[in-house]
Amino acid sequence: MTDNIIEVKNLTKIYNEGNILAVDNISFEIQKGEIFALLGPNGAGKTTTISMLATLLTPTEGEATVNTFNIRKDSKSVRKSIGIVFQEPSLDSDMKGRENLELHAILYGMPKKERRDKINEVLKLVNLEDKADLYVKNYSGGMKRRLEIARGLIHEPEVLFLDEPTLGLDPQTRRKIWEKIKGLNQLNITILLTTHYMEEADELADRICIMDHGKIIAMDTSENLKKKLSGDIIDLEFEKIENRIEFPQIFPEIMKIEGVRNISLGDSKNNQETMPMNINLPANMPNINPEMIQARMREIMSDPKKLLNAWKKFPMATQMFLDAPLEAKKQIAKLFDDNLLEQVPDSIKTELIKIKKGDYSEEDTDFEPKISISCEDGGKQLPLIIQKINKNNMKIKNVNMHRPTLEDVFLFFTGDAIREESSNRIKNIKKFIQMRQLRK
Amino acid sequence: MVKINILPKDLNYNVVWMLVRREIVAFWRSKARVITSIAQGFLFLFIFSAGFAKFPIVIDGKVIESTSYVASGICAMAILFMGIFGGLGLMRDRLFGFMKELMASPVSRRTLMFGKTFGVAIQTVIQSVIFLIVSIIFGFFSLDIGMIWRVLTIIPIALLASIGVVGLGLIISTRLRDFQSFGLIQTFIVMPMFWLSGALMPVNAMDEWMQIAMRFNPYTYTVDLFRMVLLGVSLYPIWLDLLVMTSFGLVMILIGAWSFNKMEINQ
Repeated sequence: MTDNIIEVKNLTKIYNEGNILAVDNISFEIQKGEIFALLGPNGAGKTTTISMLATLLTPTEGEATVNTFNIRKDSKSVRKSIGIVFQEPSLDSDMKGRENLELHAILYGMPKKERRDKINEVLKLVNLEDKADLYVKNYSGGMKRRLEIARGLIHEPEVLFLDEPTLGLDPQTRRKIWEKIKGLNQLNITILLTTHYMEEADELADRICIMDHGKIIAMDTSENLKKKLSGDIIDLEFEKIENRIEFPQIFPEIMKIEGVRNISLGDSKNNQETMPMNINLPANMPNINPEMIQARMREIMSDPKKLLNAWKKFPMATQMFLDAPLEAKKQIAKLFDDNLLEQVPDSIKTELIKIKKGDYSEEDTDFEPKISISCEDGGKQLPLIIQKINKNNMKIKNVNMHRPTLEDVFLFFTGDAIREESSNRIKNIKKFIQMRQLRK
Repeated sequence: MVKINILPKDLNYNVVWMLVRREIVAFWRSKARVITSIAQGFLFLFIFSAGFAKFPIVIDGKVIESTSYVASGICAMAILFMGIFGGLGLMRDRLFGFMKELMASPVSRRTLMFGKTFGVAIQTVIQSVIFLIVSIIFGFFSLDIGMIWRVLTIIPIALLASIGVVGLGLIISTRLRDFQSFGLIQTFIVMPMFWLSGALMPVNAMDEWMQIAMRFNPYTYTVDLFRMVLLGVSLYPIWLDLLVMTSFGLVMILIGAWSFNKMEINQ
């Protein structure tokens, strides 16, 4: 026997209507007593996952157990083991609060004697004792949510499913609901919640599972994810830079600063189109000697064959050549005779021929780069970063520091995916829209 | 042969009773609904009985007072209207989310369907009996001691009749996706069932093709049985009336159970 209360294995859901892959082969386990959050944007497949676990939808493929009961074979036992609070309200607003709870207790087969005590108990738990005899239609949004949570607890479930528990609530009410959820967890109730609020998952969950396009992108304890996600993002815009071949040399130096995790480069003049030049250095190789990189670059730049190789393999190298200062380009052009020129990729070839002929206009070389630095404790590190940059004789035009938004986080985790599938992006957007329409 | 089990093991009677109680309490609390349903019946009653007053109605050689004739028909009609629209009330539960709570519970779908059917049916019976009593007070029927027995006899008949129409309403509402389709139901189901039931005009006074159409309307037999009980006249034998009503009710319950199983949650 394991301590896992929920085990999900290769769960997949395809909606026949519109042929939409809502959940794509996901697997995870939830331990007893844990708060587990499914975090993701709208249409990521969170609600579909919860609906399958609650046996409201049949999975297309894969298996899952809730409280050791199989969701395909033993839906009745699964349903008795869970309490569920739906994303949309599901109260009977023409009845009183207490009546809603009583109805639920009967649905779950509670004997009459137990019923009254339990209802009073859960009402106390969500502080609704004095409002219990009002009609639900007179409740505020937060009260309704609390009543629904209370309702989900009446039959003493092992797991409580909360689908977007604070959607559309004001910050104060949200915080109150968070307190309630934490309190429930202390009563040893396992909680599976979905949310698209970063802070909510951060605040509540022991482990967070980030979903997007029906897939699990990242899953870890709140602490570990925080290390990757939290911190600040510093955007730096530079004045025009002459020597662009030396510009990337500041990267390794900035990376050396404590807390800096990721630098991405973008030209502030041409925006996102050239953004994919991310330099993501893996966390496990922190000490790159900048001199080593420079030496390596010099080595490559002196050997036409190595250059050819680099251009063919890495689109980034091509971009670097095109962005390189005229001096460097002239040097490179000297290396290529007519024979070698035949092997050069087209975009570079035209540039090289231009330089050889000598009709190269200086205007094209304007280079005003913009970099984004993801950095822990940014306020403290920013002066250091600026110092390093000043040492390299580069002028900063604009500095902007902000906490990572949910978007930054998703870019962080889906960065690779975006680059790989950039041509598929429009397709993905269409898929999103379809999903949303389907739900409605 | 399809296995027909009307009372399966997975039926939870506590929940059925709870759902019945919910309907009745909801009906009692919304006074507007009580008043509208009765007032609507009376509107029909006054207008049609005034209009038909000049025509002598003869069935089986008996001359029937047109006011009583129309009143008994309207009483049957009230069950049809209230039953179907009561069944359509399921739409409300579906659109406002309460159905999710029911469907996510460990109770079988059949239990929910039974509870809902009987709940709305009993509510319909209560309304129609109120309507009948008020129309007796207003003098639409001849007042004698026998009338008490007649009203008491009407109750089980009304229940049987309403189970069929409530079931019909429920079946439709498991498929509907918006309130706009209500007009469609009104035009293509409720009205034809009403006009072709002989509730207002004697079946034997109609054209022959109309009579044939009426014979295929299950509700004609309900109206006929109502007349039999209230006025003592009928076109068809009692056993035929009861047979048609019972089979209509059974078929609706079976289809209803099936369509409840098919009902989707997210929609």
